[in-house]
Amino acid sequence: MSEENRASTEPGGTLEHLDEITCLLYIERQLDRLRGQEVSAHTQSCASCRTLLKALERESRLLTRALLEEDEPLPSRLAQFQERARRSMQWIWGIVIGLAATGVYALYSGYIAPWQQQLEQAGFGGTNLVGLLIFQGAFWKGWQSVMTLFEVLAVLTLAGFALVMFRRRGRRGYIVAMLLASLATSGALAGSASATEFRKGQPTERVASDEVIHGDLYIWADRASIDGTVEGDVFVFAQGADINGHVKGDVIAFARTTRITGKVDGNIRAFTNMLIVTGTVDRNITAFASNVDVDQTGKVGGSVTTFANNPSLDGQIGRDVLVFAENLSVNGRVAGSVQAKGESLTIGPKAEIGGYTKFEGNKEPEVSSQAKLASPVEFKKQVHTREYTATSYLWQAIWAAALVLFGLVLFLLMPAFSHEAVANAERYGASFGLGVLVMFGVPMAAIITCITVVGLFIGISTLFVWYAALYFAQVVVGGLVGQLLLGRTSEAWPVIGRMILGLLLLRVCTAVPHIGGWVKFAIILWGLGAISLAIYRRFQPMLTPSAPVPTPYAPPPLPHNTTVGGIQSA
Amino acid sequence: MNAPGITEPTDAVARARAGDAEAWGQLYHDYAPAIFRFCRRALPTREDAEDATMEVFMKLRGVLNQYDESRSFSAWLYKIAANHCWDTLRRRKIRQDKETEDLDALPLEHPDASQLEKLIEQRTSEEVRKALAKLGPRARMALVMRYYSDMSYDEIADELGVRRAFVGVVLLRARHELRQALDGSAALAAGGTQ
Repeated sequence: MSEENRASTEPGGTLEHLDEITCLLYIERQLDRLRGQEVSAHTQSCASCRTLLKALERESRLLTRALLEEDEPLPSRLAQFQERARRSMQWIWGIVIGLAATGVYALYSGYIAPWQQQLEQAGFGGTNLVGLLIFQGAFWKGWQSVMTLFEVLAVLTLAGFALVMFRRRGRRGYIVAMLLASLATSGALAGSASATEFRKGQPTERVASDEVIHGDLYIWADRASIDGTVEGDVFVFAQGADINGHVKGDVIAFARTTRITGKVDGNIRAFTNMLIVTGTVDRNITAFASNVDVDQTGKVGGSVTTFANNPSLDGQIGRDVLVFAENLSVNGRVAGSVQAKGESLTIGPKAEIGGYTKFEGNKEPEVSSQAKLASPVEFKKQVHTREYTATSYLWQAIWAAALVLFGLVLFLLMPAFSHEAVANAERYGASFGLGVLVMFGVPMAAIITCITVVGLFIGISTLFVWYAALYFAQVVVGGLVGQLLLGRTSEAWPVIGRMILGLLLLRVCTAVPHIGGWVKFAIILWGLGAISLAIYRRFQPMLTPSAPVPTPYAPPPLPHNTTVGGIQSA
Repeated sequence: MNAPGITEPTDAVARARAGDAEAWGQLYHDYAPAIFRFCRRALPTREDAEDATMEVFMKLRGVLNQYDESRSFSAWLYKIAANHCWDTLRRRKIRQDKETEDLDALPLEHPDASQLEKLIEQRTSEEVRKALAKLGPRARMALVMRYYSDMSYDEIADELGVRRAFVGVVLLRARHELRQALDGSAALAAGGTQ
């Protein structure tokens, strides 16, 4: 660096040459008034410094121009953000309506209809107008198919939701390839599915005994009766469904009463009030029902898995039995093992169980002395009351530590999403409302999805995610509580610290006897809603194929004050 | 800092606060291109900029209630964008600038102005953008905040976490880096003469 170029201020206050930082601060108008005047005066007489100021000013202009210039269009996925956001809103409403419809249907079939039957038996058979409108078949006639349609819609919206989630995570080319592959697959399948039959419109739909359907069959009716042969699967949505003929595929039944008196080569998946099997099912039975009755003449080649009030297994079961029921009765032959959880278990004199028998319930199982069991029944008494002992508090501490670890992993793996969820938890009303919906609606829809063959994977995955979300919900609320106590921050580790503090406080609250459970329930609802809101917002900017779209270009904003050109010409 | 022809979107902001989707659309339509370009200049890749733009607008939904209508909306929006971009860069731990020594060593040289002029004359906007992409995150961020969104020294100091007195130094160092990326030589970059 030469002596003459050295920036300096002489003791007398006169400037030789200005250093570059001074020049920059001058053109950016960052010098104080006195210093600015000194620089201004100097540039009047110093050509070198004046040139430097001009060069810096030109550099500023070049920078501003280069930065502001529109050199590439707005990407298509950003350009379509607005439209997609609107659509996503429709998606949300679709899901809400779909799930609500599922809930309405479940309430109707689970509570209103049985009460109606009981009332009718008690002599209150719809003699008033309200009863007539609400309970009588005349009102519901024709609407049954609409209800099942809503049910299907609920499932479809859930599937759509999952699809959108995958799309959000994927990238353009991959997604397009996947979609095309899916379309091609469905197109290829369409040929084989061309024999699919749909029957609806009549109060009673029947497949005659001499009739053969060479494909799948979908039936919507008050009463469905299959006396003939169906070579594919049967999907039945009805008040009463009778399978008297031969079904070579599976039977998926949404019905109040489902009777299997004929032969089913595949599986039975039923969401029904009552399932009665007097015929033969070659494979497995999965049923969500009030009553499941495998009659003495009934034969099931595979296993029986059921959530029911009063299942009664008097026939032959080829493999294992897994039952969650209030009162289970076994008085037939089970080749495999029996595992049950519920209120009571009765094993009758004709019972034969090839494997082990395990029962967890309130009452000791009643086992007939004539029953043939491979091993004694293993009974475990259900514990309902919560004991607040030192051990239980130790477990609380262990669970709290596990939850903290879970939260830590989530906050590190998904920092942005976790922050959004915590921020959304501040919208108390929306979070609680949505939390209630998701808490009950999602598992209901997932279970319905599980019953269908195609949706089994989606349904089970959804249940897993939902279950994990119950814990994540506590983490989210913990994060918010921590923030409320220690203030907001956007730094990763301070946020995690607040989350841990909040979580520990919540665990203390939930450990309080008697009210702790309710507190926990409220926290889960709250957090679940916040997570759902965060997911909802994530879905707004959905990925779109990069098709060229018109760019909604707004002219680039210019500085509100001019930062360049601050020098005075000589 | 409004786009030419676009006045302060007071009405759209008020309606957006009330949950009006159309108002959101309007705000997005008016400001998304500028915010995308800001993110594009500040972040290393186009994908990053796309993600950041969407995240900025999602963040905007959460904080719109905090907007003070006496301030410029676009200036406020740029501040959110700058904050988001800098957070993104920091999270990736790619702050490779020589921050401490930069700030400690004040450049007091008087460079050869004619050589600087020559360098500037010969360069196009596109070349500057390409050179900008080669800069370290802090230098790029500082230049973008100052010369794209016209943020004040106070705001830049706040975002970068430096004292206000050092913002000029950060900017000058960034210019030096840029000159070196443009010219390939270290002469102007060092701020001295040849």
